[in-house]
Amino acid sequence: MSKPSDDDGDESFAGLVNGLSGGPWRSGGRRKRSATSSVAPQPVAADQQGPAQEQTSAAVGIFEWSQPAAAASVVRPYTWTGGRTAPVFDLAVETLVSTSEHGHDVAVLTREEHRAVAELCRDPRSVAEVAALLSLPLGVVRVLLADMADIGLVVVHRSANGSSNTPDMALMERVLSGLRRL
Amino acid sequence: MDFVDSDRSRSYGGASAAAVKPDPARSSPPAARPGADSQPSVISAKIVVGGGFGAGKTTFVGTVSEIAPLTTEAVLTDASTSVDDLAATPDKSTTTVAMDFGRLSLDAELILYLFGTPGQHRFWFMWDDLVRGAIGAVVLVDTRRLADCFAAVDFFEDRGLPYVVGVNCFDGVLSHSVEDVREALAIGPAVPIVPCDARDRESTKSTLIALVEHAMRKSVATPA
Repeated sequence: MSKPSDDDGDESFAGLVNGLSGGPWRSGGRRKRSATSSVAPQPVAADQQGPAQEQTSAAVGIFEWSQPAAAASVVRPYTWTGGRTAPVFDLAVETLVSTSEHGHDVAVLTREEHRAVAELCRDPRSVAEVAALLSLPLGVVRVLLADMADIGLVVVHRSANGSSNTPDMALMERVLSGLRRL
Repeated sequence: MDFVDSDRSRSYGGASAAAVKPDPARSSPPAARPGADSQPSVISAKIVVGGGFGAGKTTFVGTVSEIAPLTTEAVLTDASTSVDDLAATPDKSTTTVAMDFGRLSLDAELILYLFGTPGQHRFWFMWDDLVRGAIGAVVLVDTRRLADCFAAVDFFEDRGLPYVVGVNCFDGVLSHSVEDVREALAIGPAVPIVPCDARDRESTKSTLIALVEHAMRKSVATPA
């Protein structure tokens, strides 16, 4: 399949969210009646949903995506991020985050995922740990944490790296003596 | 350790200042600026554990980690493909990559993370992410399947990441001499090759120590 443009992606994603909030099949059902009365079933749709649930070609992409394997979550992870895949700023997998004082205030945590992260990061946790413990893909967690840092819910601990993206000597010394003490 | 202290004042006098300067290549969050938070700042460091499938990466991480190794996954969208590419790939197993990692609190304000590289080499975008900012890498080698670690060795060589080769002694014995392994892997004399039992905590610890010492030597020899 050729790579669609970004605009197409946004439309599909919006369609997915609408589809989920309105019930997966409701809009499809309406389309089905009009589609089956006039045109033959779309082959792709038939493969995906069976003959009883044909879609118009505009809806095919959406419903392919909203029909995941049985084990997958009802809400796709990127729904949490509003479809964004790039965080506001870069976070390395080992970057530590901890809940800020502002983030301890339950009243400001209006979103469920923010509450989950705030609960988890009372002690400093790495981006990778947050992803693993919340069972979310790394990319989603990066967007989430960057957003939370942006509004002051979590503190991102300073990176140990110098400007060259390699650890500095002082840090390596600390790691070395730490390992020897173990 | 002596060479470190003497060299540090000469070559790395500005290292701690450089460490708190935000990397121009990354935009920093407001909260991450040094001094902006009153909490004690905890630093993390990272070591990558590479090697072929079944060479003992996960065992190695688990032996020395203070937590049971965690697994995280990244979706293909990390590689900057558009959201819709996932729709084109209904088979999710081809779009995610699992990555094991462990954690070691070295002191109250320093946490070391060990990341096992994803086994499949087509996930090199993850490897790039992993080696960025890493102290170095341990390449675990199973001498019965030496070729399995070629990709890891090539990758770390290419990125200039310091690495040591840990020859996994599955039965507690080294079945090949260190020099035979070096020749077979075609790696230079400067790269340490250490016998290593991934199941043994002391052995994994000394492998990590050998790596950090090697990284420091390399760093002194070629200041950034």
